Amino acid sequence: MTEVNDDKATAAKTAHAALGGLYPHLAARSAPGDDAREALRLEAALRDAMVAKWRDSVAVKSRFFESRGGDVLRAAHLLADSFRAGGRLYTMGNGGSSCDAAHVAVEFQHPVTAGRPALPAHNLAQDMAMLTAVGNDVGFAEVFARQMPGLLRPGDVALGVSTSGNAANVLRGLEAAHELGARTLALVGGDGGATARSPCVELCLRVDSDSIHRIQETHVAIYHVLWDLVHSLLADDRPARAAAPKRRSK
Amino acid sequence: MKYVDEFRDPLAARALLREIAGATARLGATPDKPLQIMEVCGGHTHSIFRYALKDLIPPALEFVHGPGCPVCVLPMGRVDDCIAIARQPGVVFTTFGDAMRVPGSKGSLLQARADGADVRMVYSPLDALEIAAANPQREVVFFALGFETTMPSTAMTVLEAERRGIANFSLFCNHITIVPTIKAILDSPGMTIDGFLGPGHVAMVSGTAPFEFIAAEYGRPLVISGFEPTDILQSLLMVLRQLESGHAAVENQYARLVDPGGNAAALDAITRVFELREFFEWRGLGSIDHSGVRVRETYATFDAERRFAVPGARIADPKSCQCGEVLKGAIKPPQCKVFGTACTPQTPLGALMVSSEGACAAYYQFARREPVIPIVEAA
Repeated sequence: MTEVNDDKATAAKTAHAALGGLYPHLAARSAPGDDAREALRLEAALRDAMVAKWRDSVAVKSRFFESRGGDVLRAAHLLADSFRAGGRLYTMGNGGSSCDAAHVAVEFQHPVTAGRPALPAHNLAQDMAMLTAVGNDVGFAEVFARQMPGLLRPGDVALGVSTSGNAANVLRGLEAAHELGARTLALVGGDGGATARSPCVELCLRVDSDSIHRIQETHVAIYHVLWDLVHSLLADDRPARAAAPKRRSK
Repeated sequence: MKYVDEFRDPLAARALLREIAGATARLGATPDKPLQIMEVCGGHTHSIFRYALKDLIPPALEFVHGPGCPVCVLPMGRVDDCIAIARQPGVVFTTFGDAMRVPGSKGSLLQARADGADVRMVYSPLDALEIAAANPQREVVFFALGFETTMPSTAMTVLEAERRGIANFSLFCNHITIVPTIKAILDSPGMTIDGFLGPGHVAMVSGTAPFEFIAAEYGRPLVISGFEPTDILQSLLMVLRQLESGHAAVENQYARLVDPGGNAAALDAITRVFELREFFEWRGLGSIDHSGVRVRETYATFDAERRFAVPGARIADPKSCQCGEVLKGAIKPPQCKVFGTACTPQTPLGALMVSSEGACAAYYQFARREPVIPIVEAA
């Protein structure tokens, strides 16, 4: 009888340990009244989750730059060539990617490193009146595309950011920019979606991950590196840039 | 048939339906604002349609079909991965039958077989292991799919493969756990589910503890339910009684099979072989944290994801297909644009039309006929 009870107790202990591995919300719990142990277990679980996430974040970035570093260099040349010729950068995205679009624009307009020139960049989501007007009158898919004819000139660069690559308004913006003779860049994730397949997108930097967070973290790293490379490329021709004709006014 | 007929007894069903009607009326539900009870498991969905239970319950009570059909929630990209593995030279790709017709972006495994890939249907992962043992020159891959219910047999097959030293066997792991997904549904904005019929077969493995947070933290009743018609009706009544009492708890209607402590041997095998993924993608629901498992490093040689190059691409569902909306309970299957026309069990566009546990297939097969006349009225 004692053996049977021992077997049952062992089985229950095994099941309890296994359940904690399969269901983290149970692993964080402990016997009632054992608050200190529960707090320690929760801390350990949080620490494990944190370590797993940063390792994944680092791995996704490493994979991207190891496999697609050449594309980043090409994008830097493309941007530097445009700026050199008096071009502007126009950025667009939705949600977190809109924040990234704003971020990359401000990096160029307000360089944090002393001695680096401000470069003309404009986030297309900042004009609320335009966004709501087009969104209301025409449709949300057109909110960026409708801004292009009034702003873009041939040789400017349009940069679209979309973690799935399927944001209709970003893709429409890139298509409109391409039709107007602008250069087109995209930061995407996953399989790149419709953006990666579009013939209107000149260079598509795709982060190979299913996690929106990991994709966006890698996008930040890409445009910080891109900003730095562009300034490096332009560093040697600052006097030439100073003498270059100013961009024509509208 | 002994042990079956008792659970399909019309008299018992009538008595339960009478009590269900009374409880529904006392709770003040109306057809305009019905009480919504989610049956989590696809097996329950199948029974609800097969036995016309949705037509027998009062109109002020509504079944909401949950995400508990593993074939239905498999994203298209994973099917593409299967086909990519199956097409590699020397590979025998083995799978349960219902997964063969799930459409990927470039066809199904059935079509891949027609195109020349060696895709074989098996009834158990052990069948796949025997194919591997008999064909040592071939790489045999098993399409491991399902909830906690099928995880133990896959895990034990890996342990058996290790014991027998069968090195040409691996599995493409798509096992998922239902609990985080129920939590994701509970956390969804606008969540209107009043109570749950819990998955009986999952609970046979996991026990009842993983579900306790649903009552404790979200105040929703959950009754672990069997799959026969009177099982489901009795579980429904138990949920309604909890709602009447104002006290939410996890109850076990399926006590003849579900041990509240779970199955220790099965859980042990699962945790020896598998570990949680940080997240896993569900068709129609997106990525859900800790909702899938992968093969542990210790058993990496049996992991097809490590042994073969798989594309791992995310593929959007066809635009006309509204499986996602059906899975989230936003629409009923017949409200889908392609239900019964472009999408049928013979030519499915979406996964919900493939498996017999899918809500669309169940509707198509059982619910297109004339509605059953209710046999009881509210007390």
